[in-house]
Amino acid sequence: MTQPVETWFQKNHFLVRRLHSLAGIVPIGVFLCIHLYTNSLAFVGPEKFNEHVKQLHEIPNLLVVELIGIFLPIAFHAWYGILIAQSGRINVAQYGWLDNWRYTLQRVTGWIAIVFILLHLAHFRFAHWFGGPAYQEVVAKGTTPFDLTAAGFIMWLPMGLWMLVYAVGLTASVYHFCNGIVTFCITWGITVNDLSRKRVSIAAAALAIVLLGFGLSSLAALASGPAPKATAALLNP
Amino acid sequence: MSKLIRLTIQRQDARESHPYAQTFEIEHKPQMNVISCLQDIAARPVTVAGEQTTPVAWDCNCLEEVCGACTMVINGRVRQACTALVDNLLKEQATIDLKPMSKFPVVRDLFVDRSRMFAALKKVRAWIDVDTYGYLGEGPKVEPSVADRRYELSCCMTCGCCMDVCPQVNDGSDFIGPQAIGQAALFNMHPTGAMSADQRLEALMGPGGITDCGNAQNCVKACPKEVPLTWAIGKTGRDTTVHAIRRWFVK
Ligand code: SF4
Ligand code: SF4
Ligand code: FES
Repeated sequence: MTQPVETWFQKNHFLVRRLHSLAGIVPIGVFLCIHLYTNSLAFVGPEKFNEHVKQLHEIPNLLVVELIGIFLPIAFHAWYGILIAQSGRINVAQYGWLDNWRYTLQRVTGWIAIVFILLHLAHFRFAHWFGGPAYQEVVAKGTTPFDLTAAGFIMWLPMGLWMLVYAVGLTASVYHFCNGIVTFCITWGITVNDLSRKRVSIAAAALAIVLLGFGLSSLAALASGPAPKATAALLNP
Repeated sequence: MSKLIRLTIQRQDARESHPYAQTFEIEHKPQMNVISCLQDIAARPVTVAGEQTTPVAWDCNCLEEVCGACTMVINGRVRQACTALVDNLLKEQATIDLKPMSKFPVVRDLFVDRSRMFAALKKVRAWIDVDTYGYLGEGPKVEPSVADRRYELSCCMTCGCCMDVCPQVNDGSDFIGPQAIGQAALFNMHPTGAMSADQRLEALMGPGGITDCGNAQNCVKACPKEVPLTWAIGKTGRDTTVHAIRRWFVK
């Protein structure tokens, strides 16, 4: 069984590698930008956040759209990324050049992002599967998305720990995406000379700062907002 | 009383045998390089512990950094032994450390088998096809900027430094490595070589080809000949992208 699959992948090696590279930008990277922007609305105000989340939930066939548009690409990118990561031997201790650090971090942040995304999905996107009956009760009460999310940060773990987990996961994901833009441009042959690579690196770093700003501000807003005590009590019986 | 210098050398008796370390002490002379140290050790192969041993095996040829044969890992950094001057090495660390390159099979001691790079050159057809040695008239004009780039690429001496520092080149991967990508780019830029550019690109599009580069960009920093390897990788990335699109949609 594995034989034909293996040869298919070998025959289409170039295509698969390029698809892996592309998937990191479209749709995954684009999704990350939109997602962090939406989250940052929590900082603007709970109403804005609630309104936007409601709009998202109104997308017809949401689960199908998510499945094809984001879950499958992420699964492919992660699975094939693991294979790629395993093909390298990190040597940054011996050759500590900046680009070698970036190469190394690209792999390390990839691993962190995989763990973080799985946790994040269980924690928020599929909380109704993992949150148990208490969660259903809260949802049935008509709790707003903002309150529900804020309550999520006191479910299972103390809030400080959640914030740490999210800050690390967020930073790793943003780094992986933004450094990925730079390597995407090299891989596809968009930036051939050093100067163009430097320029793309600067632009990617600027984007990383914006995305981190979005992400961290939303975390701060959710952590400092009026903690919905009743919701929290229900989630932590 | 002359100064003594110490060298720790990784020894290996045969291809499959286990490496071990030996330390030697030799007299310091002005203008010494690593090769002359190895010659002095060969003249009196006795370790600091007083043990009589075999001379250390190494490879060299030109002694002026143009053949690449003497490449080894010196003080943890891959480079040519013939141009590694002892006085500079002693500024890096007190005991000079010599190891064979890590990405090639060791033949003996510091002498490695670099034939995978020659196999790679064959794989990417790093030559110009000619069917006659007769005079064919003047060739096409080449832009000076193209000629300059080709000159830089042509300086590769197949030493293996770029391979040794590349995290994607290792015994668990079949990545062809930066050196052959540089040479494929060189021959694709030649007016006659360009006629078989597609074959070189195809050779680089399979498993172990250009896509397996991880963009660590170590290769270009380690290359003693300053071959523009990351440029070649970017250019080949572009050419393979275009080639793939043409293959899927045009041909
Ligand atoms: S590209 Fe540079 S480092 Fe690589 S084999 Fe050629 S000369 Fe050596
Ligand atoms: S840029 Fe590619 S070929 Fe060069 S060291 Fe990095 S992974 Fe190896
Ligand atoms: S002997 Fe030729 S490069 Fe050192």
